[in-house]
Amino acid sequence: MRLVNAELFKIRTTALWWIMGIILLPLYAASLGFNWLTSYAYLSGQADGGGADAQAQIDAAAQPINIATNLYTTGQYMGVLIVLLLSAIIVTSEFFHLTATTTFLVTPRREAVILAKLGAGIIVALVVWVVTTLLNLILVPIILDALNVPVQLGEPAVWRAIGLNALAFGLWAVLGVGLGVLIRSQLAATLTLAIVYTVGAAVIGGIFQLLASQVAEWIGKLQVLVPTTASQLMLAGTELPGNPPRWVGAVVLIGYAVIAGVVGTLITKRRDIS
Amino acid sequence: MSGPATDDIVVDHLTKQYKKLRAVDDLSFAVRSGRVTGFLGPNGAGKTTTLRMLLGLVTPTAGTATIGGRKYVDLPDPIRRVGAVLEASSAHRGRTGRNHLRMICKAAGLPETRADEVLELTGLTPAAKRKFKGYSLGMKQRLGIAAAMLGDPRVLVLDEPANGLDPEGIRWMRDLLKALAAEGRTVLVSSHLLGEMQLLADDVVIVAAGKLIRQGPVDEVLGSMGTSQVRVRTPQAAELGDALSKLGATVSPQPDGALLVGGVEAAAIGHTAFTASVELHELTPERGDLEQVFLQLTAGMAGIR
Repeated sequence: MRLVNAELFKIRTTALWWIMGIILLPLYAASLGFNWLTSYAYLSGQADGGGADAQAQIDAAAQPINIATNLYTTGQYMGVLIVLLLSAIIVTSEFFHLTATTTFLVTPRREAVILAKLGAGIIVALVVWVVTTLLNLILVPIILDALNVPVQLGEPAVWRAIGLNALAFGLWAVLGVGLGVLIRSQLAATLTLAIVYTVGAAVIGGIFQLLASQVAEWIGKLQVLVPTTASQLMLAGTELPGNPPRWVGAVVLIGYAVIAGVVGTLITKRRDIS
Repeated sequence: MSGPATDDIVVDHLTKQYKKLRAVDDLSFAVRSGRVTGFLGPNGAGKTTTLRMLLGLVTPTAGTATIGGRKYVDLPDPIRRVGAVLEASSAHRGRTGRNHLRMICKAAGLPETRADEVLELTGLTPAAKRKFKGYSLGMKQRLGIAAAMLGDPRVLVLDEPANGLDPEGIRWMRDLLKALAAEGRTVLVSSHLLGEMQLLADDVVIVAAGKLIRQGPVDEVLGSMGTSQVRVRTPQAAELGDALSKLGATVSPQPDGALLVGGVEAAAIGHTAFTASVELHELTPERGDLEQVFLQLTAGMAGIR
């Protein structure tokens, strides 16, 4: 706990946290606006799926409960990106600023350092989750009201989605720390993660769709292996037709987090610090 | 003698093999407490790699390095046992010096008041709340020493701490390290500033190409090389030169007219001059300096490997 505290102190004493905060707020506002528009499109029947399968998905997404869970977890996509980058930087900045030497002199048991960084990353993730969730709880009822959809704050599915959202944030923090160890260069790590998270996931999703339609339909089911898809699937209010069940998304994400955490720790233990 | 002291550093057959380079090659030496030990070697001799292996940052290919009989990673509370200054530029650019020290206190479980105490000790109090990127090289070195002193350790390991210090800073550091050694602490300091080392160190460990060249008290190492010469000034240089050459001394005339005489004692030179009725204006024994000895010992082993 002492080491987690020290890691949080490291984050607090540089400009990083408020820069990330400043980036997050407009991104949150944009996400909220985007979710408002898509909700409106679903409800007014303007969304056109084309095929029968896709139409079934849209019908499911247009159910009030799914509209609500989607809106109450607004900020996940961008918030997770910020958490991913922050937790990677928690690791890479030690090498960028040559403070790894000091850190490992103070704590020669390196697995303890990585565990502390995982802990600090998860705490940062939960802070972002709390902030976005509070904003959602204040703003989303207003939007739902404007859309003539019930507020639904009494629905268990809404609170389950909010809770699973916290889990997603935490898991992405673990993923970030692990990937920060793997990609030690600060610039390479932030750029790679940001691009892969945004563009890469979309491209891979597109490839999966193409393979599913051209080669074999079961390949489309593997799309849940893409971490961003997995975390979005976890939050759905009801089971969505044509998608694997929610728990698969959780398992996939936990799997990635465990692999990243373990591999990161093992590499850090072996590596020469010079 | 009280047996092996608990703060001695022992390097035992230490080897580090990188892909193509044997950076440290079967190196063994001991560092005693209560003395300042200079760790000398040309660039690329393996000094930094050795110190990093001692501190558990680099894994040795073979051999061990221990402090008080234990490896650094096995020390229960390393910051209270060992203070290390490894590189001057090792703090986050955007963090203040004071916060850098408080961060270490937090991680090591030291009271945060220690941060202000070591800032005072190293004369950095006025710059405590300035960000690290605004520090001069000398201030960075002082912050490194401040960090090393946080745990009030019995053992200090410093890698090139004099780099970037101005003459006043160098003098300050020399006095500090000597005082710390006088309190019975172990002080191991690497440097390539040989003049400074001659003033500072009690013992030296000289390495080149990853191997031990010589270790021992400074005076012994200097004496063993027999480089001591005597500076002689006389109006009858030619006569004295002839007389001394008959004794087997080496005589080398200097540009300023003096003679540097090796191989005989000052007393013998005075006697020779007296019996040859040669007038002497100066007769100064010159101790060999560390730089000469160092260059002789490491001849042909320096340079890029």
